Amino acid sequence: MAYLSFREVSYAVGERVILDRLSFDLERGETLVLLGRSGSGKTTALRLINRMLERSGGTITIDGTDVQSVDAIQLRRRIGYVIQEFGLLPHWTVEQNIALVPKLIAWPPDRQRQRARDLMAQVGLDPDRFGHRFPHELSGGQRQRVGVARALAAEPALLLFDEPFGALDPVTRHEMQQQFIQVREQFGGASVFVTHDLAEALSIGSRIAVLESGKLEGLFTPEQFLQAETPTARAFLNTLPQGLGPPGARTPRT
Amino acid sequence: MDPVVWRSLAADIVSLTGEHLVLVAVSSIIAICIGVGIGIAGTRHRRLRNVSITVANVLQTIPSLALFGFLLPIPVIGGIGQRTAIISLVLYSLLPILRNTIVGITTVDPALREASTAMGMTDRQLLTLVELPLAAPTILAGIRIAVVTNIGTAVIAAVIGGGGLGVLIFRGVASVDTTQILAGAVPAAVLALLADGTLGYLERRIGRL
Ligand SMILES: Nc1ncnc2c1ncn2[C@@H]1O[C@H](COP(=O)(O)OP(=O)(O)OP(=O)(O)O)[C@@H](O)[C@H]1O
Ligand SMILES: [Mg+2]
Repeated sequence: MAYLSFREVSYAVGERVILDRLSFDLERGETLVLLGRSGSGKTTALRLINRMLERSGGTITIDGTDVQSVDAIQLRRRIGYVIQEFGLLPHWTVEQNIALVPKLIAWPPDRQRQRARDLMAQVGLDPDRFGHRFPHELSGGQRQRVGVARALAAEPALLLFDEPFGALDPVTRHEMQQQFIQVREQFGGASVFVTHDLAEALSIGSRIAVLESGKLEGLFTPEQFLQAETPTARAFLNTLPQGLGPPGARTPRT
Repeated sequence: MDPVVWRSLAADIVSLTGEHLVLVAVSSIIAICIGVGIGIAGTRHRRLRNVSITVANVLQTIPSLALFGFLLPIPVIGGIGQRTAIISLVLYSLLPILRNTIVGITTVDPALREASTAMGMTDRQLLTLVELPLAAPTILAGIRIAVVTNIGTAVIAAVIGGGGLGVLIFRGVASVDTTQILAGAVPAAVLALLADGTLGYLERRIGRL
């Protein structure tokens, strides 16, 4: 059975259908990229998983357990979540921010600290230099490293990323993507990664789900995506500069 | 001036300043409990927020002398004396505390609330770990306004037999005695400045955390 599974999942506000019968399966170790235009429902789909929103229909299961059958607070503590705006607590140090969920689930303070320091090293921040800084003393890229470390802190079952690198410059963004790929190797669960950046989708995703107006337009591997014929997939592919696409899309120069 | 008169005036200043401080301290503490409490609850319930702000606003628009007067004939909470004075001071200082509590909490960055909730904070944890620490400088600013205003308003307590430095002022006004007026007004002004300075300092300290 799949690790994360959406079965006919819908979300509506009154008469307005925002997500329409979404279904997909994700195995352990996979990264599903949700790719779609602004307003297509990507954030909504993510927020249904950790029950920041309650679905109107269908079922979402993690490792066979319906998310609806678990207490929402407990569920969220087992799901790492990274948002574009970082959302770091300004009155807490980097170390405290990273150890947030371990603190909520009452790990002993020593273990919290050790975990925070280990994770800082993992995401490329020197624990001695940055551990006691406050978020406003960090650059955007460093803040988002903290955001990623925080999401990983309590060994979550699932990682959710909502355009985590959207606010970063292209070079830092690329670095963070590489870091994400490394971090993912050591992480046992599955990830869902929202982006509207095609290059990011292709380099990070093991599969790419294309969302359009709340409907799943198609589910592709990165290789399949490059040949995809659906309208939104084509529209995204058309944004690649001619001959400058990612590996695989690159046409031989003449 | 006759040294005997001086000595009795000095003794009056000391004891009336004490009374004044009691009026202000007791009423401010009650107002803080009610204002911060209802303010927090108001950030969770829109109806309560609107109703409480409206009520506090109306209370604030009643001239303070009139508010003291209104309470006089009311049974249980009214009547001549310190208790009535404290109740009117509480009612009078609710608005800045209530409003700043609500503003401080509701202006916390929504991204923080979003991230904190998504990490699995309960509503209580969100309040105590995120919202209150971040709103603290704003809440304290409201408390400062309330306390400083209170020190001035408490002068009027003397009119309804509530004691305090107003006793000297009203006595001085009645007997056209500038010395007595000053003996009441100067300590009240000093108290207000001290309170403003101390609370302002605390506010800046907390703001830097
Ligand atoms: N509470 C709500 N009530 C009504 N409509 C909503 C609500 N929340 C979201 N929507 C609508 O649902 C649609 C999907 O929103 P969502 O935030 O999931 O889009 P998105 O794909 O994440 O977009 P973006 O890339 O801009 O972040 C949008 O059209 C939005 O206007
Ligand atoms: Mg979004």
